[in-house]
Amino acid sequence: MNDISRSIPKLDSVPKAFGNERYVNDIRYENALYAKTLRSPHAKARILRRRYPELPAGYHIIDHTHVPGENVVNIIADDQPVFAADRVTYYQEPILLVIGPDKRVVLKLMKDIHIEYDIEVPQFEWTDSVVHYHFTKGNLAKVKEQADKVIRREYHSGYQEQLYIEPQGMIGYHDGKQVILEGSLQCPYYVKNALIRTLNCADDYVRVRQATVGGAFGGKEEFPSLIACQLAVAIEVIRKPIRLIYEREEDVESTTKRHPSHITMTAYVKDNEILGIQSEVGLDGGANIGLSGVVLSRALIATTGVYTIDHLDVTGDVYRTNTVPNGAFRGFGAPQMLFAVEMFMHHVAAELKVDALAFRQRYLAKQGDHTSTGGTFRDPIIMPEMLSRVLDESDYLNKRERYASPDSHRGIGMSWVLHGCGFTGSGEATHIKARVKLHKRTTDEVEILIAAVDMGQGVKTTMTKLVATILDVPMSQVIYDNPDTNFVPDSGPTVASRTMMIVGGLVARAARRLRDEWNAGEDQWIEERYVQPDYIKWDETTFHGDAYPAYSWGINIVEVEVDPATYEVTVLETWNIYDVGKAIDEQVILGQADGGQLQGLGLGYLEVMNHKQGVIQQRNVTDYIISTSVDTPPMHNYLMDNPYPLGPYGAKGAGELTLVGGAPAVALAIEQAIGKEIHEIPVTPERIMELMNDE
Amino acid sequence: MVKHIIPNSLKEALDYMDGHYTTIVAGGTDLMVQRRNWAELPPTFTSDPVYVFHLSELNYVNEDDKNVYIGAVTPMSVLLDHPATPQLLKDAIAIIAAPGLRNMATIAGNIGNASPAGDSLPILYALDALVRIQSKSQNSLLPIAQVIQGPRKTILDNNELITEIVIPKDPFTFQMFRKVGGRKADAISKVSFTGSVRIEGKHVTDLRIAFGAVAPTVVRVRDIEMEYEGKTVKQLQQQVKSLQEAYATYIRPIDDQRSNKEYRMNVAMNLLEQFISSLKEE
Ligand SMILES: Cc1cc2nc3c(=O)[nH]c(=O)nc-3n(C[C@H](O)[C@H](O)[C@H](O)COP(=O)(O)OP(=O)(O)OC[C@H]3O[C@@H](n4cnc5c(N)ncnc54)[C@H](O)[C@@H]3O)c2cc1C
Repeated sequence: MNDISRSIPKLDSVPKAFGNERYVNDIRYENALYAKTLRSPHAKARILRRRYPELPAGYHIIDHTHVPGENVVNIIADDQPVFAADRVTYYQEPILLVIGPDKRVVLKLMKDIHIEYDIEVPQFEWTDSVVHYHFTKGNLAKVKEQADKVIRREYHSGYQEQLYIEPQGMIGYHDGKQVILEGSLQCPYYVKNALIRTLNCADDYVRVRQATVGGAFGGKEEFPSLIACQLAVAIEVIRKPIRLIYEREEDVESTTKRHPSHITMTAYVKDNEILGIQSEVGLDGGANIGLSGVVLSRALIATTGVYTIDHLDVTGDVYRTNTVPNGAFRGFGAPQMLFAVEMFMHHVAAELKVDALAFRQRYLAKQGDHTSTGGTFRDPIIMPEMLSRVLDESDYLNKRERYASPDSHRGIGMSWVLHGCGFTGSGEATHIKARVKLHKRTTDEVEILIAAVDMGQGVKTTMTKLVATILDVPMSQVIYDNPDTNFVPDSGPTVASRTMMIVGGLVARAARRLRDEWNAGEDQWIEERYVQPDYIKWDETTFHGDAYPAYSWGINIVEVEVDPATYEVTVLETWNIYDVGKAIDEQVILGQADGGQLQGLGLGYLEVMNHKQGVIQQRNVTDYIISTSVDTPPMHNYLMDNPYPLGPYGAKGAGELTLVGGAPAVALAIEQAIGKEIHEIPVTPERIMELMNDE
Repeated sequence: MVKHIIPNSLKEALDYMDGHYTTIVAGGTDLMVQRRNWAELPPTFTSDPVYVFHLSELNYVNEDDKNVYIGAVTPMSVLLDHPATPQLLKDAIAIIAAPGLRNMATIAGNIGNASPAGDSLPILYALDALVRIQSKSQNSLLPIAQVIQGPRKTILDNNELITEIVIPKDPFTFQMFRKVGGRKADAISKVSFTGSVRIEGKHVTDLRIAFGAVAPTVVRVRDIEMEYEGKTVKQLQQQVKSLQEAYATYIRPIDDQRSNKEYRMNVAMNLLEQFISSLKEE
C-alpha cells in the first residue's frame, strides 16, 4: 500500500488559484439588501434615548426590540447581546443594523440616527476578575521551605489579530420554511445553536451553510454567531435576502483577538534543581467573557510546557475590561504560556549559571511522566530523536557558541513545545459528542457528512484521501461538500487541532465499516459516534487528570540578526521539526508548518497591536504589520512519525502546534543577539532600542 | 455630484482645471485609499476628479548633460528600471510598497500627497530637484522644498498641475539611503535617512543630508551642510557628535501607531553616524 503521507494535489488549489471559489461576498441573490452595523462610539455608556429617522420604503432598522428569543449570543458565557439594548461595554459594540437596497441611502440613514448616551468611566486596568482557576500538583508549600533560591520573572504578551484574508461576513434569506444562512465560519453548529436560542425556534427552522472560507485562525470560531444572530433576526422581520459583510477596519476594530497576557513565574530551586514552580496567569478578556475561560484553562495546563516538574501551584484569572472582546486564536492560550515557560527556563538557567540546553534536557518529559495536571504522558515521546536531528540540521550548538560573543549581532534561539490535541478535559465526551456519517449512494459514490470546515488548511483533501485510501477507491469517488446543517451531523467545531485526530478518527472507523459491509449498487449509511477512551479521567473542578487524550510535539530553531543602528530584526533562517503522529498528507502539514510559523514569529517580533482608551490603534493592514514574503526566511521543516494508536493512521493534531513555539524561539534568538533578557513580546525595534540603551 | 474628467491631452486637463474645483488623480494609490468608501460604492470625491495617468505626453524619462527629466505620470516601476534614473531614487523606489503598487504610483503623486513619510521626497530634497508646475496660463519651475509646505500641503493652486520633475546631475562620490519601516516591504517609513557627498582628495566638497518622517516635512538644512563642507573626511568624522547635535534641533518626531519619538530620534542619529563613518577619502 502507498504511504498515506505521500502528498497529492490539494483539492482546492486549482479553483482558488483561478478565482473560481465562491466566498461569501461572491454569493449574489437577486434583490438582496445590504446591512450595515451601527456601533458604539464609547467604551462604556448607558443608552438613554434613541431617535431614528423616518425610513423610506424598503429600508429597515433592526435592533434589540426585534429579537424574538433571548438577546444573547450563545457562546459559553452569556454576556454578548445580539444587539446592545440599554448599555454598551466596548468601543464599536454593535447596536443595530440599517438595512436596505441602496448602500448610499443606508449610509445616509446611519448618519441620521441619534443615540443619546450617558458616558461612564471605562475600566481598562486588569482588576475585575471574572474567571478564576487554581490547581496544584504535588506539594509546593513543602518544597518552598527546602528551596535555597527563588527565581521570579514576569512575562507580557500583547494582542494578536487573526487578520484572516477574508473579513467576517454572512448572507441569508428565508425560503418560506427555514431561515438559511451562508457564511465564512468554522463551526456550523455553534452558529445553528446560537440561532435557535436567539430566534427561539424549532431545531429545523434554521439552516447554516459554510461558504468557502478565506482563512479563519480561530477568528471564525465564536464571532460568526454574532453576525448570524443579527442577520437571522433581520431576515425573520424583513423576509428578504440580506448580506452583512464587514469592511477590514470594521473587522479589526470590533472582532475578537488573541488575549494579551501577564504571566508571573516563580521557581523554587535547591542545589541548582527546580523543585517546584508557581505560575500566576492573567488574561485580558475584553468586555465579555465569551470563551476566555477555556482559553485560560489551556494556558494554565501548558504551564510547564514540555517539562516535568513535580510541584506546582497554578492560578489564573480572566479580567474584564471595556475593550474589544478577545477570543479564539490558533493556539488558544498556549502561545502566551509557552512563551513564558520557554523564556523562564532559559532565565533560570542563566541565573544559576548552568548550560540552558543541558538544564532543560533534565526536565524534558518522558513517556509515563505525570503532566501538569497529574495525568499521564501515555504515548512515546520522541523529542530526544527530534532534537538531535534538528540540532544537526541547524548547526545550533556551534552557532549558539559563536553568537555568544558580545560584538556579534546575531542570535539563535530554540523553543520546545507541545500541544494538547482536541478539546481540553472531557469536552469531547461531555460537550461535543461528535457524530459523523458516510453515505454510499447507489452509484457507489461515497459522501462524507461531517461539520468540519475547510478554511484553507486542507481538510477536504485529507478527509477525502483518508476515505478513498481505506475504501481503496479513486479520490473522485468520494464527495465532501461544504457542510450544511440540513445534511451533516454535528461532528463538532473545526477547532482545537481536533479535526483529523477526532473527526478523522471517526470517519476512518466509519470507512472501515463501510468497506466491510460494502454492497455495490446499494444505498448505505454508516454512522459513528465519539467514545472517550475509558482510561481518560478528568476532573473539571480540580483540574486533575488527563487534560488531553494525546499531545503533538515540536522544536523550533530561529536564527536572527539585529541591526545595531536601526534595531530591526531580520529572521535569517529557521529549522523546525514536528511530531504530529502521522501526516495524512505531508504537503498539507508542511503548509501548516509555514503558515503557523509565520504567525508565531509575528506574535514574537512583528505584530504590534494596542488600544488607547479602548480604541484599537492599528486598524488596517498598513498599520498592523504581518510578514510579507520579503520578511519570510527560508524555513526548513521536518516531520517525524510517531503514530498515535487512536488517530487515523496514527494522526494527531497539527494545526496549532506549528504556531505555538515561534514567539519564544525568535525572542530567545533576539535575546542572544542583543545580550539582554526579554520579558515581553512582540520584541519590536523600539523595545530592542530601550533594552540596548539600558545599561 | 462630482464630474469625472478623462482628458485627452494635457491641454484639455489644464483647460478644465481652470475654473473648476478638481482633484488630480495620477496612479490613485493615495487617493483611492484616502477616499475609500463602503465596498462597491464609488470613492468619496468632493471635487471633480481629473484623471491624468493615461496622458502619454507626461510619461517619459529624458536626460541631457545637466539634468534628468521625469514626466509627471511615469510609474515608479518604469523609473526603477530606467538607466537615467538617479541611483538614490532607485534605492528609494525599490522599497516603496510592492511591485503591483509601483506600477501605478508616481513621483508627482508622492509630492502631491506631501506626506512626511513620502519616501521619494528626501531624495528629491537631497538632489535639489525642481518641480515644473503648469496651469492654463503659467509654467514655473520651483525647488521641491518650496513646493511642499507641510503635511499634506503643497503650494499648488487648484488650477495647477505638476507636469515634470527635473533632477540635476551633480557628481557624487558616495551615497546612502536607508528606510526604516515596520517590515521589509509594503511599509510606511518610521524614519528614513538620505546622505550624498562629493569627496575630492581628503575634502568633502559637497554634503547633502536629508531625514524623512521625523518632522512635518523633510529635514534638510543647508546651513549645517555648508558649515561642514570644505572639511576633511577625518575632521567630519571627528565632529560627528556636533553634527548630530546640530540636526537634533530640527528633528521633531511624533508618537503614533507605528513608532515613537525616542526611536525615531535615536535611529535618525545612528544612521547619520553610520553615514559619516562610512565616508572614505578618494
Ligand atoms: C499599499 C501601499 C503602500 C504604499 N507604500 C508607500 C511607501 O512605501 N512609500 C511611499 O512614499 N508611499 C507609499 N504609498 C503611498 C503612495 O503609493 C505614494 O504616495 C505614491 O507616490 C502616490 O502616487 P499616485 O500617482 O498614486 O498618487 P495619487 O493617489 O494619484 O495622488 C496623490 C496626491 O497627489 C496629487 N497629485 C497626483 N499627481 C499630481 C500631479 N501631477 N499634479 C498635482 N497633484 C498631483 C493628487 O491630487 C493627490 O492629492 C503606499 C500606498 C499604498 C496603498
